[in-house]
Amino acid sequence: MEAVHDVSFEVADKEFVAIVGPSGCGKSTILNMLGGLVTPSEGAIELDGRPVADVPPNVGYVFQKDTVFPWRTVRRNIALGLEYRGVRGDEQERRVREGVRLAGLEGFEDAFPATLSGGMRQRVALMRTLVVDPEILLMDEPFGALDTHTKLTLHAELLSVWEARHQTVVFVTHDLSEAITLADRIIVMTRRPGRVKLVHDVGIPRPRDVIKLRETEEYAHEYSVIWRVLGDELAEPGGVQGDMRNAAAAHLGSGHPPRPPASRPPLE
Amino acid sequence: MTERAWVLCWRLLILVVLVGAWEWLTGIKAISTTPGLYWIDPFFVSRPSVILRRFAYLASGEVRLSIWAMALSTVQSTLWGFVVGVSTGFAAGLVLGRRDRLARVFEPFIIAFNSLPRIALVPLITMIFGFGLLAKIVLAWTIVFFIVFFNTFQGARGVDADLIHSARFLGASERQVMRTVIVPSALAWTFAALTPSVSFALIGVVVGEFLGGETGGGLGYLIIQSLGTLNAADMMVALLTLGVIGIVMALGIKQVERRLLRWRPEYRTGA
Repeated sequence: MEAVHDVSFEVADKEFVAIVGPSGCGKSTILNMLGGLVTPSEGAIELDGRPVADVPPNVGYVFQKDTVFPWRTVRRNIALGLEYRGVRGDEQERRVREGVRLAGLEGFEDAFPATLSGGMRQRVALMRTLVVDPEILLMDEPFGALDTHTKLTLHAELLSVWEARHQTVVFVTHDLSEAITLADRIIVMTRRPGRVKLVHDVGIPRPRDVIKLRETEEYAHEYSVIWRVLGDELAEPGGVQGDMRNAAAAHLGSGHPPRPPASRPPLE
Repeated sequence: MTERAWVLCWRLLILVVLVGAWEWLTGIKAISTTPGLYWIDPFFVSRPSVILRRFAYLASGEVRLSIWAMALSTVQSTLWGFVVGVSTGFAAGLVLGRRDRLARVFEPFIIAFNSLPRIALVPLITMIFGFGLLAKIVLAWTIVFFIVFFNTFQGARGVDADLIHSARFLGASERQVMRTVIVPSALAWTFAALTPSVSFALIGVVVGEFLGGETGGGLGYLIIQSLGTLNAADMMVALLTLGVIGIVMALGIKQVERRLLRWRPEYRTGA
């Protein structure tokens, strides 16, 4: 079965790109191809001008699914990448401690993942990837399973890490607000088999405040521009997915774009 | 009363009632004109008091082959069969679980060998390995190996592909993936096979001892001897000792499991 068709785009060094599209449009397949997990039947993936054949070094991948190793404590999960690369002793300990601090998991170093919340586990997964300092970060709906509050906190954390180290990021999501909050550029996909429908530069200056951002005019503008395109994709027969259906239908029916949902996150 | 004490109390109560009923029912005569007829004939099931006396006798230095020596021989062969069976089964399960092609090649052989009733192998194994310790270990091994193998195989097959991928992205080599992902996730499956493995190792050993004669020693030998002399009491001594051995070994495994799988929620302690 064809997941994506004739998709072509480039990601610049240190750029934060988000790919959005309806479920099943092949967003994850693209990411898997970038990461060398799936070989494209036609065409090529190039990294620094060389074709990607296997899992490339210097690439970090964060999955939507919980991939924290349940048999390792927080500390030993974060140490994994260092262990694999032969970083041992004091150096390992120092970097793990730094990772635990950045993840805000002090006091949980020796806890097993089964005792942590979903948000904490995803923090471990993120930090486990960041602690080996990858140049490229591939993220497949990493915060998809989290509640809004936790999601926003992790957005802020991800942005602050990114401002500091400027990895090249490709971030797949079906959440448009998330894409606008994080990315420099957004690639909108069509329904399956996915094609590139729109490439949009996000005109919101950095550094961004993930919470205040949502009240700004720029945000509402970006949202409506992309939604007009994405909403069409969702409204077409067979492409209607989940709870976006109503929003999309409302948009078509009323003739003007819906307001961005969850503009005020439930913070205490 | 704590939950634990409550359970313990009931266990003790059941034990006392069972043993008491055994002793009592085998002691009262049936209302019948035939002399020597019992409600439950101690000739077949013996009595706790008689069993205790026989045990004391068999444990004393007066016998050529004491119960201690026999139990030791049985335990020794069981442990060896268990250790060899578990380690070979685990290794084979890991390798075939991760090598699809190899698994396909070996599949019919494994199934064929596993469906042989192991008891049918006893004469052959005795012919090859003689009557001693080795034959009993081999017999236990032929059973334990397969139980552990099949479980580990399933476990190694079912490892979450995304866990393997995330390890690869973190820079793991093939061997590091094996050590840090495949082995720990297969272990949970392997452990599920260990408690039944102890029982099956014991079966293998005892059956070996049935045939082994005095050279092999063992509690199986005592059982066969008692059959020859129609001595139910000695048979019961052997059976009860086997039961105790089984419980102790199962508890030992539980302890190891609790330590190695302490990351699983069901073993989580309060802390």
